[in-house]
Amino acid sequence: MKMLQFYLHVWFRLVMNSFKTQMATPLGSVGYLIGKLLRIGFFLGYLTALFGKVPILNGYGAPEIVLFFMTFNLIDVGGQFLFRGIYGIKSLIEEGDFDKYLTQPVHLLFRISVMGTDFLDLLTLVPIFFFIGWAFVRLPGPIDPINIIAYVLLLMNAIIISYAFHVMVGALSVKTQEVESAIWIYRDVMSLGRFPVSIYNDFMRIVFITVVPIGVMVSFPAQALLKKMTLPLMIYAFILGLSVHFLAQMIWRRTLKSYSSNSG
Amino acid sequence: MFQTTLALFGISIQKQLETRSEFLFERIRALSILISLYFLWNAVFSGRTTVMGYTQVQMMTYLFLMTFLRALVLACVTDRIPSEISRGKISEILLKPLSHMKYWAVQDIANKSLHLISSSVELLIILFIIPYPLLGPVDLQGFLAFLVAVLGGMILYFQMSYALGVMGFWTAQSWGPRFCFEIVLEFCAGAFFPIDVLPLVAQKILMFTPFPYLVYYPVMLYLGKGTPTLFLQIFSAQIFWILFLGLTLKWLWHKGLKFYGAEGG
Repeated sequence: MKMLQFYLHVWFRLVMNSFKTQMATPLGSVGYLIGKLLRIGFFLGYLTALFGKVPILNGYGAPEIVLFFMTFNLIDVGGQFLFRGIYGIKSLIEEGDFDKYLTQPVHLLFRISVMGTDFLDLLTLVPIFFFIGWAFVRLPGPIDPINIIAYVLLLMNAIIISYAFHVMVGALSVKTQEVESAIWIYRDVMSLGRFPVSIYNDFMRIVFITVVPIGVMVSFPAQALLKKMTLPLMIYAFILGLSVHFLAQMIWRRTLKSYSSNSG
Repeated sequence: MFQTTLALFGISIQKQLETRSEFLFERIRALSILISLYFLWNAVFSGRTTVMGYTQVQMMTYLFLMTFLRALVLACVTDRIPSEISRGKISEILLKPLSHMKYWAVQDIANKSLHLISSSVELLIILFIIPYPLLGPVDLQGFLAFLVAVLGGMILYFQMSYALGVMGFWTAQSWGPRFCFEIVLEFCAGAFFPIDVLPLVAQKILMFTPFPYLVYYPVMLYLGKGTPTLFLQIFSAQIFWILFLGLTLKWLWHKGLKFYGAEGG
């Protein structure tokens, strides 16, 4: 309990620091926020216009497609909100701060992940939750509580996988000081999950469920809510989530062992 | 002067290839958009011959051309101008035997050349993997009109992007408005979906902005959807916007230079 309090305290302090940094550049930060909201708005506008002409897409109606799209946004924005600090590892190493953090009595990954928390991302989450609610009440047929629980659990699983990818990118960055590129690959590949994986061909679907699990992260939660998910697939998703998490932790520990200070 | 421009072009190519990973990831982004929209439109056309006045072949041609024009028209390097201003590096460029705008125009052409080569290779590889029957130009007249409209789009986008760069004279945070601008641009230029997917009112509003003349209308000309009236409308709108932005840029540049304090220079 004391440990939890301590970490909450550290989290709050770091988040406030990050917020103050953002407020030092209000035009940039607000512009960025408006841009993110516009992107969601434009996509929704086009999808709505499309569904005005084509009511059913791959067996899904407009509320279902909006649910998939908003679930993608929730995981994408949620991952950025929670783990954005990892994007800054390169400069931490270059400026010697990484070495300083290694000596601090806080878990290193926690320290780095939360230092870039963007409060403005929380504002982006408002329309995302609104449209998930909008889609939810319009879904065909009654939704059982078990489907809602499965949706929430699979969302948490997606955040664990997202964290694992961020940690792997962080490890790569410690090794090579090259983070922007890797994180952009992750973000771009994630964007393929905007639409249900069922629109892709068999080969792509298999890739998205195994090698690059954006299907597990984005489509599985929505499918669970739509009662289109089987128990074995859910179990597979959780096993995959845990495996990727432990793999990322192992890679991170090994990378730290081989790390020799680059600066400072 | 030609020698100077040519030398700058060569240096720009080399400089941009120094940051190969940045370039590579820009290309990966373009491809991820193409892949997701390719499968989306395939799903839309499943069991349908035409959707919103497009046949499947027309839509896929739109998609591939759109990806090509994203690389050719919407690629630019002028987003580096604000940092050049805030670090005072612009003072050095002002001493060069080339105006600042020409200096960046050459860099932009170098960047577009790289993107042009890269996107051509990528699209050929993709078409080899997914052999899709794309439409060729409908007639020579339409194809020439397409080429001219693409050139107009390139000039127009350079002017818009340069204007945003020049904002760096007044604020070091112009990356926020630029991000907003890029989002609006991608959707309003038809660089995600064709604009005629939207309701008629939205289409009419967009016609009064410079955005659709960057990607959407040039592709329409290629697809042979252009009537003589549309030809006239596209070219007169492009000329109007180029002149308007040209004058605005001139004004902005003079105001900006007066404001410039050479901090960090």
